[in-house]
Amino acid sequence: MKTKILILTIFILGGVTLVFDACKKSDVNSPSSEYRPTYLSFKIPTGWPAPPTDIFKNNPLTEEGFQLGRKLFYDGRLSKDGNFPCASCHQQFAAFATYDHQFSHGFNNSFTFRNAPPLFNLAWMKEMHWDGGINHIEVQPLAPITDIKEMAENIENVLKKLSVDTAYHRMFTTAFGDTMINSQRMLKALSQFMGSILSFNSKYDQVKRGEASFTLSQQNGYATFKAKCNSCHTEPLFTDNSFRNNGLPLDPVLKDIGRMRVTGRPSDSLLFKVPSLRNIQYTGPFMHDGRIFSLPQIVSHYQTGIDITQPTLDPLLKNRLTITNQEKVDLVEFLQTLTDDVFLQDTRFSQPK
Amino acid sequence: MVGTQPILLDGTTFSNPFGEKYSITHLKYYISNICLINNTNKSFEKESYHLIDQNLPTSLSFNFTSEENTFTALQFVIGVDSLRNVSGAQSGALDPLNDMFWTWNSGYIMAKMEGVSPQSNQVGSKIVYHIGGFSGANSVLKTIQLSFPAGKKLLVEQGKINEINLEADLNLWWQNANTIKITEHPVCTTPGVMAKKIAENYSSMFSIKEIVNN
Repeated sequence: MKTKILILTIFILGGVTLVFDACKKSDVNSPSSEYRPTYLSFKIPTGWPAPPTDIFKNNPLTEEGFQLGRKLFYDGRLSKDGNFPCASCHQQFAAFATYDHQFSHGFNNSFTFRNAPPLFNLAWMKEMHWDGGINHIEVQPLAPITDIKEMAENIENVLKKLSVDTAYHRMFTTAFGDTMINSQRMLKALSQFMGSILSFNSKYDQVKRGEASFTLSQQNGYATFKAKCNSCHTEPLFTDNSFRNNGLPLDPVLKDIGRMRVTGRPSDSLLFKVPSLRNIQYTGPFMHDGRIFSLPQIVSHYQTGIDITQPTLDPLLKNRLTITNQEKVDLVEFLQTLTDDVFLQDTRFSQPK
Repeated sequence: MVGTQPILLDGTTFSNPFGEKYSITHLKYYISNICLINNTNKSFEKESYHLIDQNLPTSLSFNFTSEENTFTALQFVIGVDSLRNVSGAQSGALDPLNDMFWTWNSGYIMAKMEGVSPQSNQVGSKIVYHIGGFSGANSVLKTIQLSFPAGKKLLVEQGKINEINLEADLNLWWQNANTIKITEHPVCTTPGVMAKKIAENYSSMFSIKEIVNN
């Protein structure tokens, strides 16, 4: 058989490339004279470091984009059966984690593979997920939307459902300049909403600003925190956003190898993202698989629970942590000063009416 | 092409160089960063991202507006450059709804082949190759330069449409620098050593079939 077929043909058009392509440039914003969004500035809380990258650089933050993202975040139509909006696992009263659930519920009575992380201060997070598999906030929603244990939907269906809703026609237009509804705009809007969620008004923050003072126990707990915890849960974000093995034994059922799942590197085995401790009072159960249910139990893990035989154990934990029981009580008192009621109750982030 | 057979996704059975039978259901890959080359110049295409889907005849040819010049070679990348793998939500050929984006380990699938083979030990005798990885040691990105046949030149002029016809021999997917047997490797869906081997193989499957100066 000698039938030859061409697999690919490139037609070369002669001409001045720049002129032709300038018209075709399909950016998010197709400016028209009526497109006048309200631009918002992203304010970095006083004394905080600048985020490692500007997540709004190619996604200008606007009130309209934020509100569209907020509507999408609370919209069950992003899931296959309509029951699982982003907000079903990311509840505001739980700092946008799932309250009191080791694993979150997803489509068809399934449980998620890992504990849902809280959502705040995401602009400082270079990689998302416990294993850091997601490299940009804009592509993060693709994971839960398409995961069969979470929202179990595909992007094409989501866009179909959105495009029959006139409210979305209006909101995509005010946010992006015309009625086109595509995945890029949906993701950028979600990113504007999620990236705008900040938590910086806890008692700890007020103390730092000179607006409040710690109790003696909280003060002592803060001293212990700075001595024992701050090198990974670094202020003011209360995480250094690194990946570390904190000595939790491998769960025999989940067999979750952490960061090695995405990098394939044995040295990344059992490494997980260091979570922020902000709002920790409401983000439990704790750890990547929600195996720890209370704040004192967390401290106990670092006192006595760390498996020091693991080859990838973080060097800072190789002797476990020496924390007295009094220090433990004070540390738990301090951790509760990281609760930010302003953020937890901020109606700007709540379900739109 | 598979050897001398045309690539058909209609259940046609092919034989790889090891005599393993297979048929193809999906064959998709990215061609990006295309440019035409002569001794002194490179004419790049702007926003040069093309998703070739063997199931979609319209994707098997596309237009490229070039500056006027005489060229002697074609260069392109098989895959999507690393920058676009880390730059958030994209559109057009790079839209994640094209099923060429990993949602749990961000990055594009650069080339995808799926099919069926009696030699596969997988459910439904499936073979699944999703080849990706854009950074560091795991990168499968391949820049290909194909010189036009001796004496052939592409004369790009305003108002004219020229053609470059390429063909690819899928036999090289299995055996080139590396040996990929279906019995041993019916599946590859993560970046890493196996993906790199397959990418190394397919990197030389393209050849210039014809240059047409109209």
